[in-house]
Amino acid sequence: MTLAVILIPFLVALLVIFSPRGMAYALALLSTFATFICSLFLAGSSPLSRQWIPGFGSYFELSSVGAASVLIPVAALVMIPTVYYAGYKVVERTSGLLALLLAMQAGLNGIFLAKDLLLFYVFWEATLIPSVLMLGIWGREERRQAALKYLIYAVAGSFLMLISILAIKPLSGAVSYRITDLMATTPNLATATQIWLFIGMAIGMAVKLPLWPLHGWLIDFNEQNHVSGVADVAGTLYKVGGFGFFAWALPLLPAAAQSIGLLFLILSAITALYAALIATTQTHLKRFLAYTSLAHMGIVGVGVFGLNIAGLNGAVFLLAAQMLSTGGLFLISGMLYERKGDFDMTAYGGLSKSAPALAALSLFILFTSIGVPGLANFPGEFMSLMGAFQTYPWVAALATLSVIAAGVYGVNAYQRLFQGEQKEAIREIRSAEFLVLVPLLAGILWLGLFPSQSFEHIDEQSSLLTQQLEQVDATPVKLAGGN
Amino acid sequence: MSAVELAALAPALALLGALINGLFGRALKEPLPGYLASATVGLGFLFSLFAFFALQSMEEPSVHIALWDYLKAGNFDLSLGFTIDTLSVTMMLIITGVGFLIHLYSIAYMHGDSGFSRYFSFLNLFVAAMLILVLADSFFLMFIGWEGVGVCSYLLISFWYTERANADAARKAFITNRVGDVGFLLAMFLTVFAFGTLNIHEVNELALAGAVSGGLITVIGLFYLLAATGKSAQLPLQVWLPDAMAGPTPVSALIHAATMVTAGVYLIARAGPLFALSPVASTWVAWIGALTAIIAAFAAFAQTDIKKILAFSTISQLGYMFVAVGAGAYWVGIFHVFTHAFFKALLFLGSGSVIHALGGEQDIRKMGGLHKHMKVTSFTSLIATLAIAGVPFFAGFFSKDAILAHVFNSELIGGSKYLLYVLLLVTAVMTAFYMFRWYFQIFRGEERLSEEARAHVHESPALMTVPLMILAFFSVAAGYFGLPEFAFPNVFSHWIERSVEAPVSFGHPSVGLEWFLILLSVAAAALGLGIGYWVYAMRKGEPARGDTGALRNLSASGAGFDALYRPLFIRSSEGLASGLSSLDSNVVNKGVSQGAGSVGLLANVVRWLQTGYARQYALFMFIGVAILALVVALNGGLS
Repeated sequence: MTLAVILIPFLVALLVIFSPRGMAYALALLSTFATFICSLFLAGSSPLSRQWIPGFGSYFELSSVGAASVLIPVAALVMIPTVYYAGYKVVERTSGLLALLLAMQAGLNGIFLAKDLLLFYVFWEATLIPSVLMLGIWGREERRQAALKYLIYAVAGSFLMLISILAIKPLSGAVSYRITDLMATTPNLATATQIWLFIGMAIGMAVKLPLWPLHGWLIDFNEQNHVSGVADVAGTLYKVGGFGFFAWALPLLPAAAQSIGLLFLILSAITALYAALIATTQTHLKRFLAYTSLAHMGIVGVGVFGLNIAGLNGAVFLLAAQMLSTGGLFLISGMLYERKGDFDMTAYGGLSKSAPALAALSLFILFTSIGVPGLANFPGEFMSLMGAFQTYPWVAALATLSVIAAGVYGVNAYQRLFQGEQKEAIREIRSAEFLVLVPLLAGILWLGLFPSQSFEHIDEQSSLLTQQLEQVDATPVKLAGGN
Repeated sequence: MSAVELAALAPALALLGALINGLFGRALKEPLPGYLASATVGLGFLFSLFAFFALQSMEEPSVHIALWDYLKAGNFDLSLGFTIDTLSVTMMLIITGVGFLIHLYSIAYMHGDSGFSRYFSFLNLFVAAMLILVLADSFFLMFIGWEGVGVCSYLLISFWYTERANADAARKAFITNRVGDVGFLLAMFLTVFAFGTLNIHEVNELALAGAVSGGLITVIGLFYLLAATGKSAQLPLQVWLPDAMAGPTPVSALIHAATMVTAGVYLIARAGPLFALSPVASTWVAWIGALTAIIAAFAAFAQTDIKKILAFSTISQLGYMFVAVGAGAYWVGIFHVFTHAFFKALLFLGSGSVIHALGGEQDIRKMGGLHKHMKVTSFTSLIATLAIAGVPFFAGFFSKDAILAHVFNSELIGGSKYLLYVLLLVTAVMTAFYMFRWYFQIFRGEERLSEEARAHVHESPALMTVPLMILAFFSVAAGYFGLPEFAFPNVFSHWIERSVEAPVSFGHPSVGLEWFLILLSVAAAALGLGIGYWVYAMRKGEPARGDTGALRNLSASGAGFDALYRPLFIRSSEGLASGLSSLDSNVVNKGVSQGAGSVGLLANVVRWLQTGYARQYALFMFIGVAILALVVALNGGLS
């Protein structure tokens, strides 16, 4: 199962490129179903370990223990309607787009499963390719600038990350790049060394999170992607920066996390509040969604850098939950665009009248997005903020203020689109479109009402991380120059 | 399943009703969704009643029902469960009992509305969320219900969403409540910090055992107070409730008078032991309540909308409840919740009956003399008016008098209690005055109806008047559960105190003084009604000079809070947001493409890159791989 969730989408992607449209569509859909089913059996499936680059101490090692067995199924669930919607919504070069979506899924699952740092990096970078290509080929008028900007941010970040990754093994004297070997040796590095390595990794990850002020690419990325919103969904799944910190940077460099984590916590709180405030002013639907998504990422950051087990669990959970809510909203943006050919929210209004079901579904997902309890985002948001509050109450309280701004942007958007006098009637949601949203709704309710199982899985990984962090507290490591 | 446990099904029933009406309502013919929704709430009432009787005979009248484990992180554990005890059952009876009558009434009131089934779906959803709120065994589950009722309130205020004003009112309510919700969240974070749990019973026990310092308890209490001010429309977050009257009138009766807005009082009563340990937090609660009570009563004076007068009156009465729980008299606060639910729901439903009869008219200046056209509405409204004015032998008299007496005797809130007492007494005079105006301007005196309304006026159908009569009965009867303790048997205090055992003591003045206090409250009601009679019945109407007076304008504007908050919070945060927005798109966002472009070297790099990103990307990847390969080779060479 562990390998299957990477291999199925990857191999089908290869097939899909060369298939005619109808065939490609059928294959791609089949692949998303197969991957989703496999992903459900990830928890408890056996890990995989092979020598990969022997001279270099790198292994092809995959394991689903921990966050992967939550993030992969949720991402796989989101992929089903995304591929389904892409197949009938994107008319030009459909096979290519479907292949890229599947390739992204393969890379993404690799990122979540990799237990070897170098392997992780390869997946991390490889997934960038389909993401850039989707924007560059299927994007809107200014796609080239947007793609370039995205590329510059991502590549510059990854470059620094690569340097840290390459340096960490020789510096620590670990026998391999496997996480178990690294975790045994890297905490012994001097704090100053850890900080340098951490900064290198952190920049790459902060770009992907994204964290203020490295988020510049995100807004254009979402604005310029294909009007159907499918590429934005894929982009939403690809917000793996928080996962990178959680799975690699923090456990490998705990002393650095302890000493400069606060800086990143503050940046995360700023990101949350800053993005939520800006979201209240946006009238372009996709830019609006980009900022709301950024605000969620800020809260993910708060959970991660609070370095408290409740917050860490909450952050990873929120990463999974926002795939459903943000993903769903991007798909709805595609449906609205199809009806009116416009992303300007002020051009809409009163749509509840002609499309009550679409309005109700949109409100449901908007409420999920702004953290209404009982729906998917809330447990993640609550635990992220609550966890961080236990260690840094003031910073967490600052981030909690974003909850108010979320209320404002949530009801603002709904009012602009669906309330007031109806300017122009639109078509009610079709059953095919309704089917697109069904898996997301089911996921939202499942995560919102019964999050315990997911938290249990995540907890397996976070408890290892907090142990690693606690060891630093027990034996304070002096700064290298200190003695 | 025992009779008590059956009550745990009440929220599920209402939720089921909401789902059926929400998903299939449009396929059902008109009265059916209404009867279905009423049936789920009525059944919930029956179950609550069973639980009520079952608890009577129990030694330890509290049953815990575990629902499911919600989540776990490290040693922090959140499991969901219900507590069915005397306090929660009392709230359940109010919610489902008054709720059932309002559901029935709505069937006639909403007749012919295109959103008929949507309305009942939302109303049922509200009942479900409200029941979860009062049944919750933890602050966490209470918060789920808390936000749930906020969402339903939002949906119902904007029920007629095509009117911009309604959508604006709903937005204002939602956002103001979110401010309170942040208080709730921070209070919970602090509770976890201090107690390590969110289970209300455990928190109360730990607090009583002295596990947490008084200073921390005060801070926690103040954040729960912030939460309570949002939901219960108290200072400084009271501004949303008058606007919330944009919703259908039965909604105002159920959500914005009888149940949801009392959630703040319930929260403080539930956490009674916690608050009782912090005289500072309790004093704050009482002062917030008293100031709100008098300011809102003042704002009610110059309102001309039949519902807005009642909205300010609700804010004011909730202020009384806050003073009660602030003074540590938790059962008294709940007692006023109980009596107020009947007479305030009745006042709103009476208003609805009037609005219905006049074809949508809400301006009391265009009413008058309706008594002869709608006798049932008029008589029942009169009973409610006398009850809220605090006239002896009506329900409001007993609960209001209990509040006044307990504030006077409280040993929790220090020396300021006498000032609080005076404030409430003055508010009682004001209440009697503006409620006299409300009743007289609508039902008595000369008819000032428009032609249209005159042609339309009629008594409402039985589906509306029967609930009015039942509520009128309880607007008298409810008071006799809580007669003054010093001279009479009081079942209500013993009933509630079996669930809230807070260490608060009250002074026991002489019986003579107790009677004197009662006399004072009677005098306050009489004085207010007397002034009202003098102004409106004898001098026939509003004082002529009043129309342009500064005080009148201040009252009409709801004491000017909207005008204050607009520049202070709304404009300033909008300014901040749009400032950040332009900062983001002009500076941060262009950091790479243009900011960097101004630096010569980077500009060249950018231009060079723009010659075809795909090829360049390949180059980047190649460089990356080359470095990787180089390091691999070097590493391999070294090993």
